[in-house]
Amino acid sequence: MSTATLDQTRLSLPKGLARRVLPGFLTLIAMMLILLVCGTIQPRIWSQNGLTLIMSPIVALAIASMAQMVMMSIGDIDLGIGFFVGMITTIVATLLRDTPILGLLALAGSVLAYALLGALVQLRSVPSLIATLGASFVWLGMGLFVLPVPGGMAPDWLFKYAFWKPPLSIPAPLVTMVVATAVTWFVTRRTGLGVRFRSLGSNPVALVRSGGSLVITRMLAYAVVGVLGVLAGITLTAEIGGGDVNAVPGYTLTTVAAVILGGGMFTGGRAVAWGTLAGAITLGLLTVLLTLLSLSPNLQPAVQGFIVIAVLAGRLVVERMTR
Amino acid sequence: MIKVRNHAIPPWTWSFLAAVVVLVLTYIVSGRGGSQTITLAFTVAPYLVLVGLGQMLVMSAGPGNIDVSVAKVFSLGGLIAIAVGDVTGSWILGLGAAVGAGFAMASISVIAILYVRIPPIVATLATSLIASAISLTLAKGFQGSPDPMLKGFLNWAPLGIPAFAIMVLLFTLLVSVFLKRTIWGSQMLAVGQARRAAEYAGVNAKKTMVFVYLTCGVLAALAGALRASFSAPNVELGNDYLLDSIAVVVIGGTLMTGGRAVPAGVWGGALFFILLDGLLNLIGWSYAGQNVLKGFLVLAVLFLASGAPILGQRASPDPAKDEDVAEPEVKPLS
Repeated sequence: MSTATLDQTRLSLPKGLARRVLPGFLTLIAMMLILLVCGTIQPRIWSQNGLTLIMSPIVALAIASMAQMVMMSIGDIDLGIGFFVGMITTIVATLLRDTPILGLLALAGSVLAYALLGALVQLRSVPSLIATLGASFVWLGMGLFVLPVPGGMAPDWLFKYAFWKPPLSIPAPLVTMVVATAVTWFVTRRTGLGVRFRSLGSNPVALVRSGGSLVITRMLAYAVVGVLGVLAGITLTAEIGGGDVNAVPGYTLTTVAAVILGGGMFTGGRAVAWGTLAGAITLGLLTVLLTLLSLSPNLQPAVQGFIVIAVLAGRLVVERMTR
Repeated sequence: MIKVRNHAIPPWTWSFLAAVVVLVLTYIVSGRGGSQTITLAFTVAPYLVLVGLGQMLVMSAGPGNIDVSVAKVFSLGGLIAIAVGDVTGSWILGLGAAVGAGFAMASISVIAILYVRIPPIVATLATSLIASAISLTLAKGFQGSPDPMLKGFLNWAPLGIPAFAIMVLLFTLLVSVFLKRTIWGSQMLAVGQARRAAEYAGVNAKKTMVFVYLTCGVLAALAGALRASFSAPNVELGNDYLLDSIAVVVIGGTLMTGGRAVPAGVWGGALFFILLDGLLNLIGWSYAGQNVLKGFLVLAVLFLASGAPILGQRASPDPAKDEDVAEPEVKPLS
């Protein structure tokens, strides 16, 4: 047991670093493995086009997962992000294309709505789970108002983005994802705002004692979630070429799974942008892998479920061994 | 649980108040009273109540506990019940098979939560993916129709009160008595209030977790089987039941942080939701408008029903709550 005490003293210096980074690192290994298996089955994915093809559906998921990660870093959970992203696609494919100013106002309004939701959660101590659930009905309804049936067209500049080929044969989706993650990482881990977000999640009393406002901090965090949700919606519109409020209701839970895979916690206080990116890509690549294995699409969800359990079980084993 | 009664207003009041307001509005809009609206609500509500009761038990078992697989298990229960009932010719076997399926699905969640230590929301999400895969496979070329006798019973409403609603009402009472009067019930709530304290007091928290998740899975599958017998089985039959079950439970006054279960509130919340749907259909609102209003109403009810004083601190300790924590710990020892 002497190694255990040694480990503890070593781990206690970089505060919780190992515990924070390890899960995301394991997920990263799982991601690499899946990518390697995919590449073995279908070598053509090892090209700019191939990688772009398999990664472009993941971009929106990755950014939505960033939103969920910010939400979970303050100790809340967003059960409405799926419909929110869907609603944004309907706005982008109609208002933003036809009347850009009105479209921008609508997008700003959506972010403001999120901030107000944060105020409701804080002021009335409503559980975030149920407040965002209630809001998800609103997002769904609004999206249906804008576009009762899937349709509309992405703005031209979005189409240009969709066909953009960066130099050095780097796949464009990877660039978008890495930039989005880097910005989220910077905001949550390198700015005072990020510190306040995390202390709201881990120790709200400390936040108040240090002169922060619970209401304003929560509203700002929700606004950041809203902004990331809007970005996810825009990239999703580029991907599907139009708007559909029912495009990705599954994001709500998949993003939670991505954050957990990346090392996030439900209790808040932990912001793991890069881990979440690895989690989102892993979940996205699973779909690709299962398609390459030409598994019946009906069975795909089950395999996805089992793999999520397997990855988390593997993490448990590794954590026990390192302890 | 006795201390909870010290609250001036019972926690389920708001949900019933909301339901009554919607009912009165329905009468004003339609221009006539009559029991038809109530009969219809009581015909549809029991399914949501069954799912809600399961969800309530899970949620009151402590913070973070939630079952997001109810929707898919609901659909799966419906498909299996009709398929087995069709093959064997007996609806009882069909319902039994659905219960078995719910039990099996919930077992996956339980194993993942207790032994792989996965957070409940992710574990039940995985279960939900597995259940949906089975449903999709089953639904391919699905044939079978609900048993006419069972369907007749579910539609049977002597004196305008559906018999099935009475049964579910009795079951709700049973759950209520179980929570308030039995040691098992107190132990469950004790785990929900303070797991570690309950464990020191000799409560087996693991057993509680197994119990609530299995009950929730079985209830969801059973409700799905009955709902499918009431109309027709469908892969998407249960989709609305996930969000609705969570919303109904919380509107009913059950604490999301665990430790306080309000079975009566589940009825209030379910009636509120179903009457609201009816009212909006009556006014002729589009599906879009219905959703927006439903969302705002849920938020408004949350705004009114939440106990916190405006501008109060989230972290401020509630003296009444502390007493609640102390209460059930004593029982298992005595």
